Amino acid sequence: MGMTMLGKGRKAISMILDEGSFVEGKIDEYTLPDIGPGAVIGTGSLKGRKIAVIANDAMVRNPRFPVVYSGVIGMEEAYKMATTVYKMIELDKDKPQGEKRPLVLIVDTPGNGPGKVEELFGMNKATGAYQLSLAEARQHGHPIVAMIIGRAISGAFLCHGLQADHILSLSEEFQTMIHVMPLAGIARITKRDIESLTELSKTNPVFASGAGFFYKLGGLEELVNSVDDMKDTIDRHITEIYKCNAEGNSEKCRPSPFPSPSVLKYTPLLPWQTHHTYDV
Amino acid sequence: MALQELNFSFKPEKNFTSFAPEWFHSGVVGSGDMEVLMEHKKQDGKVTVKVVTPVTGFDQVWEKVLAKFVAETKIGNLHMEINDNNATPFIVHMRLKQALFEAKGDVES
Amino acid sequence: MRKWEEMQERSFYESTARERAINLVDKGTFTELLAPIDKMTSPHLPILGEAVSFDDGVVTGVGKIGKRPVFVISQEGRFIGGAVGEVHGAKMVATFRLAQQSYEKIKEKYPNDYESRIPAVVISFETGGVRLHEANAGLLAHAEVMEQIQHCRGKIPVIGLVGSKVGCFGGMGFVVVATDMVIMSDRGRIGLTGPEVIEEAMGKKEFDASDKSLIYRITGGKHKYIMRDAAYLVKDTIGDFHKQVAEALKMSYDEVQSHRCIGSLKLVEEQLELVKIAAENNFKDATDVWAYFGNKKSDQIQDQFYDEFIREAKRRPRR
Repeated sequence: MGMTMLGKGRKAISMILDEGSFVEGKIDEYTLPDIGPGAVIGTGSLKGRKIAVIANDAMVRNPRFPVVYSGVIGMEEAYKMATTVYKMIELDKDKPQGEKRPLVLIVDTPGNGPGKVEELFGMNKATGAYQLSLAEARQHGHPIVAMIIGRAISGAFLCHGLQADHILSLSEEFQTMIHVMPLAGIARITKRDIESLTELSKTNPVFASGAGFFYKLGGLEELVNSVDDMKDTIDRHITEIYKCNAEGNSEKCRPSPFPSPSVLKYTPLLPWQTHHTYDV
Repeated sequence: MALQELNFSFKPEKNFTSFAPEWFHSGVVGSGDMEVLMEHKKQDGKVTVKVVTPVTGFDQVWEKVLAKFVAETKIGNLHMEINDNNATPFIVHMRLKQALFEAKGDVES
Repeated sequence: MRKWEEMQERSFYESTARERAINLVDKGTFTELLAPIDKMTSPHLPILGEAVSFDDGVVTGVGKIGKRPVFVISQEGRFIGGAVGEVHGAKMVATFRLAQQSYEKIKEKYPNDYESRIPAVVISFETGGVRLHEANAGLLAHAEVMEQIQHCRGKIPVIGLVGSKVGCFGGMGFVVVATDMVIMSDRGRIGLTGPEVIEEAMGKKEFDASDKSLIYRITGGKHKYIMRDAAYLVKDTIGDFHKQVAEALKMSYDEVQSHRCIGSLKLVEEQLELVKIAAENNFKDATDVWAYFGNKKSDQIQDQFYDEFIREAKRRPRR
């Protein structure tokens, strides 16, 4: 069993960014609102390259929203993240393509705020706002790399990860978790026994959980097998995305495995372009 | 665990009417319900049916219900595909008759 | 199939996805794309022994409202709770792409007069979000749909309708509020987290998942209308939804955009002010929030009929 980075978002920032370069709570001269302590945000450099980083801190509680702790992305956290992305777009708006600063998302989140106030005031809007901001940043040419160091679960992964150009993950030895619901939960809801589901997931990664399966499906760009490799791997992917964007291949920069070939057999009826195949 | 597929073929009644529309769809695959896709198919009046269902062990019940439908409606030159989700024989019979009725109405209007 | 005129009077809530799709656009204009005859069933459900459907729980197609092509996506809650699987999601994304292609073609053909002809995308939501039987594909589908909504920005109005039995929950709960304009009926519901999960997180004392009335107050159309998550509240007939969409299509693109909840820094700042209000007040129920925004008889709102509610409701002020 290797070490785990679960709950260590801050440590991951220091491992990924150049030493002493991280400035928290600010994007250039702009000071981020002092809310959502579970969202650790700032700028720094990665192998000399100026970037912004958005990470989860699983060690703090939000004093105003009791269900938001342990890396949960609540309303304050999600809007703070969205604010960051929009500020980056604004600050870099006059920069040419290739100089728009990258965003690095360090992902370790178990979900969105599951509370009554969250439903009343719109957790859905907060997580949706963050997703739209990331999609817009990509349109403008900001490379976005998500690095999963711990949990990447359901709606929280959708906002903090799945809108990236490239998604990387520490391999499963690091106890990373990627899923909508663990297989046991899926077994309960679909009324199937877990043994046969486990067996089936070996040939069909479409409902299985875990980084390995998500990689097989094509949802992950690369599995990272050592924490020391995170920095170099992220850097390499940023370079790749810049290159893709420069070639006008922005669609290719974000090679979604969706839909899979089994669905693509209907291609004549669908205006798809696809870049990926199952790697099973 | 996999879904099962049943296939049936019925000889038409002597004085059968051909299914006229090119195709007609009816129903929603809700729990305890089904959908049917009816297609005109020139096949000497025969009625062929493909049933896809999660329920096992009811092959003979399906055959009976479908045979009754073919006999009662005197329909022919029809291929049907049914996606079933635990519909009772009564529901199946009702849905098929309803679908055929609607399919004819569709042609008239 | 019942006549279009008859269907306009029919309950949106009680109708099927196909009935909604056909009758949301002008009479006789709807063409279904990837219709049941294409037999595009899920390749994943049979392995799990789960019933399949020829449309995989979503009706997609194109019709017209006035001069405008309207691309329709209509989810069917009766099929696995309207949950989004791979084919279902692919049909949604493909519809968005077709709408964008159509936009480009229309712009090319009518360079001086395209604004009155630009297409719209209308989504009737009836879903609990990701289909667990094909969870990973469902997750990716959600991300792709969000991206498509962003691609439509500045070009094609995207309108979300919620008035169905299942409502709009899970991942689709944030997709719906990412559209330009949400139209709901009182019976429609929008949320993110399921009631059982909230009860688990907060305890039964704070949130009782079996209290249907509480859940309706929090997720229902009236609350979303007061909060302005829903731009319009309509009566529960297909015709009322159709009329409201037609009204929206008469608006300028900017006017449609003015109904967005999220999608810019300005809107995020506006929502953050709301979150501040949430943090500063100890709201126990939707009625407390309604009272905060100036609804004096907030405890009677849930029982109010449509006309009375629309006449009297005080909505959250826009900044």
